[in-house]
Amino acid sequence: MSLLSRLAGLLKIHRLERDVEDELRAHLEMRTRDNLAAGMSPEEARYDAKRRFGNSTLVKEDTRAMDIVGWIETTGQNLRYAARMLRRTPGFTLVAILTLALGIGANVAIFTVVHAVLLDPLPFPHPEELVRVYDDLRTSNTHDVGMSVPELWDMRDKSGVFQDICVIFPTDGNITGGDHPERVEALGTNANYFTMLGVRAELGRTYVPADALPGFSEPVVISDAYWRRAFGADPKVLGTKIRLDGDLYTVAGVMPPGFRHPGRTLDADVDLWATTGFAAPPFPAPVVRAVRLLPGVMGRLKPGLTVSQAQAQLDNFVAQLTRQFPDEYPAAAGWSIRLVPTQEDVVGNVRTELFVLFAAVGFVLLIVCVNLANLLLARSASRQREMAIRLAVGAGRGRLIVQLLTESVLLVAISGAAALLTVFTLKNSLLRLAPADLPRLNDVSLSPGVLLFAFFISILTGLLFGLAPALQTARADQTTALREGSRGAGSSKHQLQFSRFLVASEIALSLVLLIGAGLLFRSFWQLLEVRPGFDPHHVTTAKIWLAVPNDPQNDPYFTIEKRAAFHQEILRRISALPGVEQAAIGSPPSAPMDGKPRQSPFLIEGRASNLEHIPVAETASVTPAYFSVLKTALIAGRFFTDDDNAKGQQVVLIDETLAHRYWPNSDSDALGQRLQMAAGRRSEMAASPLFTIVGVVGNIKSDGFDAASAPHIYRAVYQAPPYGAVVYLRTTADPGLLGEAVRGEVQHVDPTIPVFDVRTMDFIVSAFLAERRFALELLGIFAGVALLLASIGIYGVMTYTFSRRTNEIGIRIAMGAQRSDILRLAVGEGTMTVALGVVAGLAGAAVMTRFLRSLLFGVKATDPLTYAAIAGLLTAVTLLACLVPAHRATRVDPLIALRHD
Amino acid sequence: MAKPKSDVLQGTLALLVLKTLERGAMHGYGITLHIQRVSSEVLRVEEGSLYPALHRMEQDGWISAEWGASENNRRARYYQLTAKGWKQLAEEEKNWARLSAAVASVLQFAQ
Repeated sequence: MSLLSRLAGLLKIHRLERDVEDELRAHLEMRTRDNLAAGMSPEEARYDAKRRFGNSTLVKEDTRAMDIVGWIETTGQNLRYAARMLRRTPGFTLVAILTLALGIGANVAIFTVVHAVLLDPLPFPHPEELVRVYDDLRTSNTHDVGMSVPELWDMRDKSGVFQDICVIFPTDGNITGGDHPERVEALGTNANYFTMLGVRAELGRTYVPADALPGFSEPVVISDAYWRRAFGADPKVLGTKIRLDGDLYTVAGVMPPGFRHPGRTLDADVDLWATTGFAAPPFPAPVVRAVRLLPGVMGRLKPGLTVSQAQAQLDNFVAQLTRQFPDEYPAAAGWSIRLVPTQEDVVGNVRTELFVLFAAVGFVLLIVCVNLANLLLARSASRQREMAIRLAVGAGRGRLIVQLLTESVLLVAISGAAALLTVFTLKNSLLRLAPADLPRLNDVSLSPGVLLFAFFISILTGLLFGLAPALQTARADQTTALREGSRGAGSSKHQLQFSRFLVASEIALSLVLLIGAGLLFRSFWQLLEVRPGFDPHHVTTAKIWLAVPNDPQNDPYFTIEKRAAFHQEILRRISALPGVEQAAIGSPPSAPMDGKPRQSPFLIEGRASNLEHIPVAETASVTPAYFSVLKTALIAGRFFTDDDNAKGQQVVLIDETLAHRYWPNSDSDALGQRLQMAAGRRSEMAASPLFTIVGVVGNIKSDGFDAASAPHIYRAVYQAPPYGAVVYLRTTADPGLLGEAVRGEVQHVDPTIPVFDVRTMDFIVSAFLAERRFALELLGIFAGVALLLASIGIYGVMTYTFSRRTNEIGIRIAMGAQRSDILRLAVGEGTMTVALGVVAGLAGAAVMTRFLRSLLFGVKATDPLTYAAIAGLLTAVTLLACLVPAHRATRVDPLIALRHD
Repeated sequence: MAKPKSDVLQGTLALLVLKTLERGAMHGYGITLHIQRVSSEVLRVEEGSLYPALHRMEQDGWISAEWGASENNRRARYYQLTAKGWKQLAEEEKNWARLSAAVASVLQFAQ
């Protein structure tokens, strides 16, 4: 009851105030009257009555406080007062809001990405049960070698670990039947894929158990994007027949727009899902345990089973299978199975980068806070008088602190709102800056979690920069401030020390950021210095996909001769195109930095094979001109020729890495030697033919600048013609036009073959570096902002310090001090602070950069050169920031200074 | 501005006010005068503590207030006991009796 009436009191607060005044005034008048009647003079009577009330303002307030909900009214007052104060100093307010909005906005922006990519669980029921299953061969340190179909069945039926398991087979698909053939991103899976993930179709259906056949079954499911692109979002798409890789399928369902396959694909989001049991043509039938033909497997663990428990159980099962099938799982190979939670798998190694960026942007916000705290401190000095009076009138210290904090919170509230608005409107442009292959990029949004974070961080920021100045300002000892004619802008020594401490911490924080950015920059630089082993300039690439129909009888390219002839004809035609200097064709693993390498174990003839450690090389097939197009050097022997075809001797080229490893004395020793490779996906090599080494070529960094050099073995395309191929053209012609020309030539030979992914090698290389470059750019921006803020901070504090000492400086000059003496005095002030900051920053950096280690390349986390250079830079900048106010201090006219208040 | 308040007086102020109002509606000044007079000037209620206390008691529902005309025809606020206030008065009187008896026994014992 009383609470309600007190809330109501807030609404009629003005009337309440008047009522209380009236009541107290009536009391006053009555006593005055009685005093007069008792014989006092009018002044005495009045004075006595008033005196009895003591602090009448306080009494009024206390009385009225009983009639309302105190804290609401107080907060309202505080807010109005704070707003007034902020309006009075528009310059300060604007600067504060801008820097705060920048700091908070940057944090929110990065957090939206962190949230979507790292924190937000995958949009499937019980996402923690989903795992990727990898097969590794430990002794040769080869990962993700693929699984065989019988092995998959054992995992499903006998391992006791999975409630569901499914194959993931990303592949190119060839859609024909329209005006021109189109390449789609296809995913071959078992029929339980959608039920395992727990998702339903938007239109139509996903697979049913009847779709689980040994070979491909007819119904396919398409993505929302593909539905819109290829069928114009036609609602009657269900039942439409499409010809994929020569076979007819029926569209059975369309997935919802937000659905994404939780894993890596060949190139883009999945357009089309097809299902097969992988136990019938085009796959080898009957299934063989030794053939690891399944490139990816995903499973759902049994409920309640953790990943580590499942892994332990699986390790036992693997040991069991190894004993059971010693031929297919030779103990020497060290076969093992590894589980990786799908959430982690999807994110990949972006995690570290994101965390680094998140920490960096947090630092920037901290620096903003420190800067603001300093500004507030300086500003508060001019409000000492106001504070002193309020304290004298009877306001509690707590009340004043809350008042000052309200100003900070109001600032933050405005900035936070501005920041959120900016992030919201700029979201799309910001996302375009991010590297395109950032996982889950399309999940990035201003979700409730992000808004909560924004709110929380705003409050924290406000308290952080507002608390210290508030505490400082509302100190009880105010006698100096009240004295008439005092140096009104005076502040205690404590305040100045605190100010200096704040600046030092700003410098330290900036230094850490700058050093981090510097290390990343040097890593990037080192990366660029790495010689890739080929010349990416003026090389255009395009991809071709020869369809793989289900029935080999329908496959015009089933034999090696037919495929080789096709590639030869294509090569002949495109070499003749205008603008093409040289042309070559290679299998997909031959494309540097663009796709998954293919690894094969190999054995050199005549070398005793160390069963404990079977070497592995990356293999690809290429046409003779491949190395000329890429301008890779020939070290010894020869390149392939057109005579290296099915009729000739089986030959290979090896790269320097391989040659040095086995023939360290001279590369030409390798020529004429022979080696065996595991052909196809077989894990045994006994049946593999012997290949003769006819040449040694330079190393190509096919896995990226920062990957260790893996040995490469190359086969000739006409001896091992691939289904999917990459066309390489050394040319200065426009890639778009050239792509069209290539397409024309290919479709002249066979109108059902699509040509896609026309890109320049320069683009591929820079896309590869894009992720690193992005992190570097962002960190660089943050560090730059930090440096700017720190400089402004120290500039401000120094200016303020010297303005306080104007009097003293005037005296010194009058006593005969030279300008250089004053300068020295002034700089000396700043040096201490800067030195402290730099030392703290160096120590902090040494600790913090440890987390950067996985992102660094060719540079230690404690690289002395970087540290020294950056520290030097920062010191120079900050000392410069000291120098300007110092210089101004020397220009002081002693007469004015002495009179200065 | 420190206001040292006697603990006892603060606690008993409510009791004294309620008792005073037993005789009928009164304004704040009147209450002050009454307590002063009846206690032979021993108890002097400070205006600073009276009015906050009056308003708090009003919020608690022990007394109700009305604007009326004072002796010199000015606007003054008159307080009177509510039903709840009567009960509270009886309660406080009982407590006070018990308290003073207890204090008395302690003093007698210390003799």
